[in-house]
Amino acid sequence: MSRFKVADAPHIHCGWSTQSVMLNVLIALLPVSIASVAIFGLKALLIIAVCVASCVLSEFVFNLVTKKPQTVSDLSAAVTGLLLALNLSTNVTVYQCVVGSLFAIIVVKCLFGGLGKNFANPAISGRVFMLLTFSAVAGGANPTIVELTTSATPLEIMKNGDVLPSMTEMMLGLHGGAIGETCIVALVLGFVYLVVKKIIKWYVPVSFIATVFVLSFVKSFDITYSLYQILSGGLFIGAIFMATDYVTTPITDKGKVVFAIGCGIITFVIRQFFSLPEGVSFSILFMNLLVPYIEELTHKHPLGGVENGK
Amino acid sequence: MKRNVSRLVLPHEKATALMQSVVVTDVEKVVMPLSMHSGKNAIPVVSVGDHVYVGQLIAKEDGDVSSPVHASVSGTVTAIEPVKTMGKTVDAIVIASDGKNEKDPSIKAPVVNNVDEFLQAVRDSGLVGLGGAAFPTWSKLAAVKKAKINTFLINGAECEPYLTSDTRTMMEDGKYIEMGIEYLRKYTGAEKYVIGIEKNKPEAIALLRERFAKDDSVVVEELDSYYPQGAKQVLLYNVTGKVQKPGTRLADLGVLIINVTSLAKLAKYMEDGMPLIDRCVTVDGSAVNKPGNFVVPIGTPISKLFELAGGLTEDVERVIIGGPMMGHAVEDLDEPVVKATGGVLAFNKKQAKLFEPSACIHCGRCVENCPLSLNPTEFARAMTLDNEEEKLALLKKEQVTLCMQCGCCSYVCPAHRPLVQTNVAAISFVKKHRTAR
Repeated sequence: MSRFKVADAPHIHCGWSTQSVMLNVLIALLPVSIASVAIFGLKALLIIAVCVASCVLSEFVFNLVTKKPQTVSDLSAAVTGLLLALNLSTNVTVYQCVVGSLFAIIVVKCLFGGLGKNFANPAISGRVFMLLTFSAVAGGANPTIVELTTSATPLEIMKNGDVLPSMTEMMLGLHGGAIGETCIVALVLGFVYLVVKKIIKWYVPVSFIATVFVLSFVKSFDITYSLYQILSGGLFIGAIFMATDYVTTPITDKGKVVFAIGCGIITFVIRQFFSLPEGVSFSILFMNLLVPYIEELTHKHPLGGVENGK
Repeated sequence: MKRNVSRLVLPHEKATALMQSVVVTDVEKVVMPLSMHSGKNAIPVVSVGDHVYVGQLIAKEDGDVSSPVHASVSGTVTAIEPVKTMGKTVDAIVIASDGKNEKDPSIKAPVVNNVDEFLQAVRDSGLVGLGGAAFPTWSKLAAVKKAKINTFLINGAECEPYLTSDTRTMMEDGKYIEMGIEYLRKYTGAEKYVIGIEKNKPEAIALLRERFAKDDSVVVEELDSYYPQGAKQVLLYNVTGKVQKPGTRLADLGVLIINVTSLAKLAKYMEDGMPLIDRCVTVDGSAVNKPGNFVVPIGTPISKLFELAGGLTEDVERVIIGGPMMGHAVEDLDEPVVKATGGVLAFNKKQAKLFEPSACIHCGRCVENCPLSLNPTEFARAMTLDNEEEKLALLKKEQVTLCMQCGCCSYVCPAHRPLVQTNVAAISFVKKHRTAR
């Protein structure tokens, strides 16, 4: 008589699922999504809708065509789509959004074996692909709710020497840039939510941002300049939402911090010494490539084990 | 640098902590497996048809790591046959009770004057680690002959959710814990005794602190309620800061760990000479009508325990012997309570729901929550490698054999991956190759 179903221990579970993790990320992105529409108008909503729909649909079709188990319900494609959208400016066209989404999902994620197998962050890869393919993607676009004399982003202004937005405008995101990168207040709200929900570690984004701040300060000895450096460009959205991506960052806490500091250094170097005004995307993408080496360097020594496995 | 080990907070579910244990002796039959301990199976010394008394030796230990088995009821040996117990099939002596519970007339308190006689007495008592490890207590204590033991860690962590049988020992048998410490002091010469108890048992902590208030050599240490606080390496590290290295014994550090109920049982044996024939078992879980703690004869079929606990609900789906993290699910209710059974649980459909595993998202929660800082994702990756040499090299580098299957990694995995099972497979792969060479 076999009355009961047997299963392996442990017989209880924390209740998390991949879907719940991704849902929490989507919730954390809600404030900045709303802010992007408020600041940049309905075009922002269109970009978000197109990117999310393209990402989810392309993964759905890819799984269908390649006869793989359907994975869209894990919501990771939706997260990729939303993140990609938030990293674009209103200069993009619908067609460009679709192409970028397809690249992110099909080339960067699905062809590498799907969620968990991709080594580069799909949203960032999609954005960088669009940056290289369609030049209009990056850079500034005017917020629709304020009158601005320039559509240049603060980072471009800092390089050109024009008048910068005020600190309040910086915090509220009332200046040119990608639709989801400007509103610091909304991004910080998302950050707090992710930390409280234990989805990310607070010290990962903080290490990234602090590295950029410290290096900027060492270079300039100017607090205001350093503040503008960290509040501008895609630093906050990148540090909070992309440098904390599970799949493409190191697995140990120590490794995650090394990764974040590396991102900070590269962001600073690109901003200061390259012709590009922005370096966050490239820095994260570059550090994605270094993950295996960071893993090796930050390998944990087991309690009760022998050193270095020897 | 001090590590941060065992940070996993589990739901405690210690609803039975304050329930006085109920002593039950009227069982119809008991099933006594010859292996209720780690080490070699015991050898039967009775035959089918023999009459046995309570406490009578029915199987003797075989070698230095083994434990004798004693009849837990009086009656007739009806069979010596293979039974399923704790995931394996072992010969067991089945005794039909005559309902009289007649004590073996030859039983008397052991005469102990020196360490050898003490160890012999512990050997004869049939005691094993009652916290779950089931390592023969005398085999463990024999270390005092070879190494100087300074400190005994008395393990009252009871970190598995639901289980409260050790809690009951600490609340009901403080006297025996105190006596047990006196025996250890007398025959091992250890100076320090640390009773480690998780914070979620404030009543037990208060009672024992009061009892040992005047004894500076006994410290009741409040431990954080983190799982697996009661695991050997974790307890050792959190209490003493020491680490047991591979290839060394705990005794080399001058430390031994003994479960709090094992210690109390040891003292009881010294007092009246009745070997280990019963134990307290927590019966709980969402499919149990009236959860509680019951002291039953060892060998009692678990069906009897659920009967005592008011029966099972209609929607019962999984039955577990042991705790929810490391316990073993059974197909039916015939398996017996063995020496190390601290609890039996029954979960309803909702609580027993299983999830399909999905792809690893590299979140690192398994690494973060492994008390030993192992890397289950690497074990899993190694197990996918085709090249056996590479597989073995990676598993050895990642030191998979340290894994104690505590279950933290599987518990926290958002992708519901069967990490513990992969670890078990990896360990047996490494061990197979070790013996092959």
